[in-house]
Amino acid sequence: MRLFGHRLSIAAGIAVAMALAAAFTAPPDALQGNLQRLMYVHVPAAWIAFLAFGVTLIGSGLWLWRRDSRHDRLAAASAEVGVFFTGLTLALGSVWGKPVWGVWWTWDPRLVTTAIMFFVYLGYLALRRATVEPVARARRSAVFGIVAFVQVPIVHLSVLWWRTLHQPPTVLRPGHPTIDHAMLAALLLNLLAFTVLFVLLVRARMRLAAAEQEHELRDGERELAGAAVSAPRLKGAQQ
Amino acid sequence: MKRYRLLVIALGGLVLVLLGLLMFGNLNSNLVYYLTPQEALTKKAEFTEGRRFQLGGFVRANSVVRAPDGLRFVVATGTSPESPSIPVLHRGAPAQLFQSGIGVVLEGSWRGARFVSDTMLIKHDENYAPPQSGGEQR
Repeated sequence: MRLFGHRLSIAAGIAVAMALAAAFTAPPDALQGNLQRLMYVHVPAAWIAFLAFGVTLIGSGLWLWRRDSRHDRLAAASAEVGVFFTGLTLALGSVWGKPVWGVWWTWDPRLVTTAIMFFVYLGYLALRRATVEPVARARRSAVFGIVAFVQVPIVHLSVLWWRTLHQPPTVLRPGHPTIDHAMLAALLLNLLAFTVLFVLLVRARMRLAAAEQEHELRDGERELAGAAVSAPRLKGAQQ
Repeated sequence: MKRYRLLVIALGGLVLVLLGLLMFGNLNSNLVYYLTPQEALTKKAEFTEGRRFQLGGFVRANSVVRAPDGLRFVVATGTSPESPSIPVLHRGAPAQLFQSGIGVVLEGSWRGARFVSDTMLIKHDENYAPPQSGGEQR
């Protein structure tokens, strides 16, 4: 139990409970009514996806610089959480889009770039699975983790660069956020709750990865069962 | 290892080329999600009757009329009364949030001077406010 121990789980519980309460007590939107409440989970999920891929970028960079396997584990754990939250963003956005826009999905630049980001980071996880040797795996995924981050600013700015159905940013924009203060407070509380949850998930995943690595190392020292039997040979085959 | 590095460089180059194309390749006319009424009017020769495209704009205030053959309204580039506009006949189901003044993206084609659509998407903006606050209310 390193890094805050049980206190982090308790903090996450409290933050999630407060955020939920805020999301349900915030005033409904004039145009969208209660449907707008989906914002309180859709936007934080997208924020965590961006944050997670940012942490993967930092972990990858640190690994290339210091060659410490902890940084590799950080990058991997964060990418896993990021892929989950990207998927969640797409799913929640779909649920929001059906009643408000009228469709589950449309080929809008924001939606398409987000889906590409989802699949590229799935590729990152596949690359980690496909490479067995730990140092090669760490190096390849570090390069991948750095290059793939290009997508995060593309996804964020897609609504400004291209014409989209998706609305432009409400909070992360030059000037004042175009949202009522009570709604903004609820949104910020949910962003905080999701962030604490993200730290909790990454910490748990890193601990698991460290245990896995330890197990692998111990396995390497043990003599293989196969050493007790000799491999079958064809008669007369060349030695 | 060498082969792998070559692969990384090749893939990186490919990504850069694609990015460059996206940003500077002037693919906009093919990538554009919808045409504004102004663009649709200037490109009318290009989009012959029956050629489908997406038209996006604001539903002009007090222009919505329920007719027996569908929903008739006017879509304008902006919200001001003198901005370029196109009369629309919408034959599909209207979206849940459809109302006068809201942003819409319609899919359909020209029929004479009228745009006939069968699919309607709502394009809401980035402003959120409770009902009673006045300011942004529609």
